[in-house]
Amino acid sequence: MKTARRAPGRVAVHLLLWGYAVVALLPLVVMLLNSLRPTSEVFTAPLGLPTSPSLRSYGQVWTEASFSTYFMNSLIVTGGAVLLGTAVSALAAFPLARYDFFGNRVLGAYFLAGLMLPIRLGLVPIFYLMDSMGLIDSLLGLTLLYAASGVPFCIFVLSAFYRSLPVELDEAARLDGAGEFRIFGQIMLPLVRPALASVMLFQFVPLWHEFLYPLVLLRSDEKFTIPRGLSQFFGEYTTDWSALFAGLVLATAPLFVLFVLATRQIIAGLTAGMSK
Amino acid sequence: MKRRWIAGAIGALMLALAACAPGGGASGRQEETAGKVTLSLWSWRVEDVKAYEKILAKFEDSHPNINVEFKPFQATEYNNILATGLSGTAGPDVAQLRAYGGLQPLVEAGQLLPLDDKVEALSGFDAKLLEGAKGHTDGKVYGVPFAYQTLQVLYNKKLFADNGIQPPATWDDMIAAARKLKAAGITPFAVAAGPDATWTLPIVHEIFGNARYGSTAFRDAVVGGKKKFTDPDFTASVKLIKDLEPYFPEDVVAVKIPDVQALFATGKAAMYPTGAFDLAPVLKANPSLEVGQFPVPPPPGSPVTTPVTPGWADGSFGVNAKSTHQAEALELVKWMATPEFGQLYATELKQLSAVPGVTPSDPLLAEMAKNYAGNGAPYTLLVDFRYGQPNGDAVFRDEVQKMLAGQADPESVSESVQKGVEQWFKPGN
Amino acid sequence: MPRWRVLAVFLLPAFLLYSVFIVYPLVSALDYSFFEWRGIRQAGFAGLDNYRDLLSVYPYDQQLWRAFAHNALFFAGTMLIQNTVGLLFAVLLFRYGRGKRFLQASFTTPYLVDPLVVGYLWSLLLNPTFGPVNALLKAAGLDSWALPWLGDTNTALPIVILVNAWQWVGFPMLMFSAALAGIPAEYHEAARVDGASAWQAFRRVTLPLLTPAIGVVSVLTFIGNFNAFGLVYAMAGSTGSPAGSTDVLGLLFYRVAFVEGGVEAIGRSSALAVLMFVFIFGVSLLATSYFRRRERRLV
Repeated sequence: MKTARRAPGRVAVHLLLWGYAVVALLPLVVMLLNSLRPTSEVFTAPLGLPTSPSLRSYGQVWTEASFSTYFMNSLIVTGGAVLLGTAVSALAAFPLARYDFFGNRVLGAYFLAGLMLPIRLGLVPIFYLMDSMGLIDSLLGLTLLYAASGVPFCIFVLSAFYRSLPVELDEAARLDGAGEFRIFGQIMLPLVRPALASVMLFQFVPLWHEFLYPLVLLRSDEKFTIPRGLSQFFGEYTTDWSALFAGLVLATAPLFVLFVLATRQIIAGLTAGMSK
Repeated sequence: MKRRWIAGAIGALMLALAACAPGGGASGRQEETAGKVTLSLWSWRVEDVKAYEKILAKFEDSHPNINVEFKPFQATEYNNILATGLSGTAGPDVAQLRAYGGLQPLVEAGQLLPLDDKVEALSGFDAKLLEGAKGHTDGKVYGVPFAYQTLQVLYNKKLFADNGIQPPATWDDMIAAARKLKAAGITPFAVAAGPDATWTLPIVHEIFGNARYGSTAFRDAVVGGKKKFTDPDFTASVKLIKDLEPYFPEDVVAVKIPDVQALFATGKAAMYPTGAFDLAPVLKANPSLEVGQFPVPPPPGSPVTTPVTPGWADGSFGVNAKSTHQAEALELVKWMATPEFGQLYATELKQLSAVPGVTPSDPLLAEMAKNYAGNGAPYTLLVDFRYGQPNGDAVFRDEVQKMLAGQADPESVSESVQKGVEQWFKPGN
Repeated sequence: MPRWRVLAVFLLPAFLLYSVFIVYPLVSALDYSFFEWRGIRQAGFAGLDNYRDLLSVYPYDQQLWRAFAHNALFFAGTMLIQNTVGLLFAVLLFRYGRGKRFLQASFTTPYLVDPLVVGYLWSLLLNPTFGPVNALLKAAGLDSWALPWLGDTNTALPIVILVNAWQWVGFPMLMFSAALAGIPAEYHEAARVDGASAWQAFRRVTLPLLTPAIGVVSVLTFIGNFNAFGLVYAMAGSTGSPAGSTDVLGLLFYRVAFVEGGVEAIGRSSALAVLMFVFIFGVSLLATSYFRRRERRLV
C-alpha cells in the first residue's frame, strides 16, 4: 500500500521539477535563438525559430564593439571586487558571529545598514569622492567601490553561517592551544566554503551587470566594462536587434561558466563537510 | 574612428595622471602637441556618433588648432552624468543641453557660461526656439539651439492609395478614413500607451487636440493666469484621445513604442501621429516605405480653424563655465550657430536644424518645417510647464494612461493637471 | 575572548573599505535632504522642507503611499510564492537522484541574466498580440484567459511579482539546500522512529531547524523587495504602467531624482531615500532580532 501511494506522488514530483526547468530555461532560449536571426526577422516577428541561423551578429559585436577589451575590464573589476569584498567580509563576519564583544550589536547593525540604501542615492557624493582621490576614469576606483558595496550582504550571510557552526568546535581548538587566526583559517573557513561560493556568486552577478557607475566614473573607451561598452554599442546600432541579442548572450555567457564552477563548489561543500 | 578613440583614451590617461593634483581644472587637458587644443563635446545622442564625427571633421578642417572629441552617454542617465561631469575633473568643454525646464538645474548651479554677448548670431534665431535655451529666472541664453521638433501625422502613401483615401481636409474626413481602414483590417493610428510610451501621450494629445483647446491663444491665457487647464476647451481636447481609442491598436495600454514602429513600418498601420524625430528610424526600419505627412485638421468646435503644427526646441549646445579652453569652446558653439553647421546637421541627421535660413534637404522634413513656420504652436505642457515639479506633461501622461485604462475621465485628467501645476506655477512668471 | 588587537585585524579591513566607499557617500547623500538645492549647488539649510514637500505636494503625496502599498504587496507575494516554492524545490531536490544538479542549475540560471533583460524578455512573451503565452492559451481554448497581462491594472503587479520570483527562486532554493544539508541525519531518523509521517517530521523537526535560513532569506527578501527597481522598470517603465498600478518606491525615487530632474531634485530624492531607509532599517532590525531569539530557543 505504501508503494502504491508513493508512485503517483513521485511522478508528480518529477513532472513538477522537469516542467519547471523548461519554464526556467525557455526565455533564455528565446534570447539565444534571436541572436542567430537577422534583424529584419526579429523586427517583424520578435519570437520565432531562425530560418537560416547565422553567427554574423556575434562577429559584429566582437569586433565593432571591441568586446574583448570590455570583457577583460569587466573581469578585472568584478573579479577583483568580489575577491576583495568577500575576503574582508569573511574576516569581519567571524568575530561578529562568534564573540560577544562590546559593540558587537552596534557594529553588526552598522554593516547591515548598507543593504538598505539604493546605491544610486550616492551618485553625487561618490563622484566627488572619486574625483578628490583622482579615481575618475580608473578601474581601481570602480573595483574599490564595488568591493565595498558587497560587504553588507557578505557579512550578513556569512555571520549567519558562522553562527550555525557548533560552539564546541572553537572551544576544543582553543583548549588545544590554537590561536584565533588558526581557528579561523583552519576550522571555520573550510566549513563555510559552500557559503563563500554562494555569496561570491550572488555578488558577482549584479556587479557584472551594473552600468550606472561605469557611466558616471569611466570616460575612456579602453576602460569600459561590458555593460558600459555595450550600452554605447547598442545606442549606436539602436535598431540592430540581432546584434543586441548576440551582445546579451556574450555578456551573460561568462556568468554561466562561473555559475557551473560555483555550484560545483557549493554542492561539493554541501555533501562533504556540512554534517556536524 | 577607432584610432581616434584610442588616441583620445591615451590622451585622457595622460591627463588623468597629470590632473591628480587638486585644481586641475574642468577639462584639465594639457596641450598635447604644440598649440593644439582638444575639446571634449558631450552628448546624449549615442546613435549619432558617426554623423557627428563627420560634421565635426568640417569644423576641424577650418580650425586646425582645435580637435573635437565627441563623447556620447546613455540618454536616460545623461542629466546626472552631465551635472557631475561639469563640476569635476575631465568634464566636457562643450555639452549638449536639454531644453526649457531640463536646462534649469545647470543654470541655477552656475555651471554654464551665458552666451548672450559672446555669440552674436543668436540674435537671428527664432525667439520661440531660443526660449528653450534660456535661464528661466535670469533670461540669459546658455546654449545655441541645434534642432526643433514638429508634431504631425505620418501616413503610409500606399495604404492610403489602396483604400482610396486622400490626406484628410477635415476632421470628419479623417475619422471616415480611420473607419474605412479599420474595416479593412488595418490599424488606423499607430499609437502606443505602454510602459515605455507614456511620454508620447502628451504628444498624441498635441497632434489631435492642439487646435481644439485653442492653440497659442489658450497657452498665453494659461501662462498669463486668465485660463486654467480645467477650461472646457482643454477637457474637450483630452476627450478626443478617448474618442479616437477605437482606432488605436487593441489593448493600447500594453503596446510599446517598438510595436507601433513595427506596425507602421511593415504596413500594418496606416497613420503614425508622432514627431519629426521618428521619420528617420521608421525609414531605417523599412527604407522602401513611402511616407507622407499631414497636420491634423481642426476637430469640430475648435476655437482655431486652420490645422496647427505644434513644436518645441530640442536642445542646445553650451559651454562649461569651468572649461580651461573657453576661447576654443566658444569658437565651436559660434560655428554651431552658422548655416554651415545647420546644413550639415540637417543632412547628416535628417532632423530640423534650428539655425535660421537652413532648409531641410528631405522633402518631407521641408513640408514639416513649412507647416511649423506657417502655423506653428508651442507644445505648452513641455515648453511652459516643466519649470517645477511635478512637470505638467508628467501629470498629464499618467492621467491619460489612467483614462485609457478606464480609470479616469477627461474632466479628472484636466483637474489633475491643473492641481499638479498649481503646486509650483504662479501665473505671469 | 580574543584581544582587541586580534579583533581589529579581523574587523578593520572591512570596516575601512565599507566606511570610506559606502557609508561616507551615503551619509552625505542623506545629509543632502536637509538642504535646499539649485541643481547640484547647495543653496542653504532647509530643515525639514524637503520632507514636507514630499508628503504634501501633489501628486507625490499620493504616489508615496500607493508605491508603499505596492512594495508591501510585492513583499507578501514574494514570500508566499518565491520563498515557499524555493523551499519546496530544496526539499524535493534534497534526496533527488539523477538530474539533481541539472535541475538546481536550471532553476538558478534566470538569476544570471540582467533584470533589465529579464523584464524585456517577459514583456515579449506576454505581449498581447504576438506573445506565445496568449497564443498558447488561445490554442488551449482559454480565450477569456488571454489577457493583456502587463496592460491590465489588475494583473500587472501580480505578473511582475511572478517574473521576479521566476528570476530569484534559485536564491531561497540554494540557501535552504545549504541549510538542509547542515541538519544532522540523526534528527530525521529520530523523527521517523517516532512514527511521524513525512509531513509531520518536516513540520516538527526540519522546519524549526531551518529558522536561521528562513530568517536570512526573509530579511534579504524584505530589503530586496523594498528596493526593487530594475525588473519593474524594465516591465512597467519609470511610471509604473499601466496607470501607476505597478509603481514602487524605487521607481518613485528614480523619477524624483533622475527623470523629472528639476532644480530641487537632489533634496527631495534624498528625503525620500531617508524615509525609505528609516523604514527598511527599522523593520530589518526588528526582524533580525526576532529570528535571533527564535534561533536561541532552538539551541
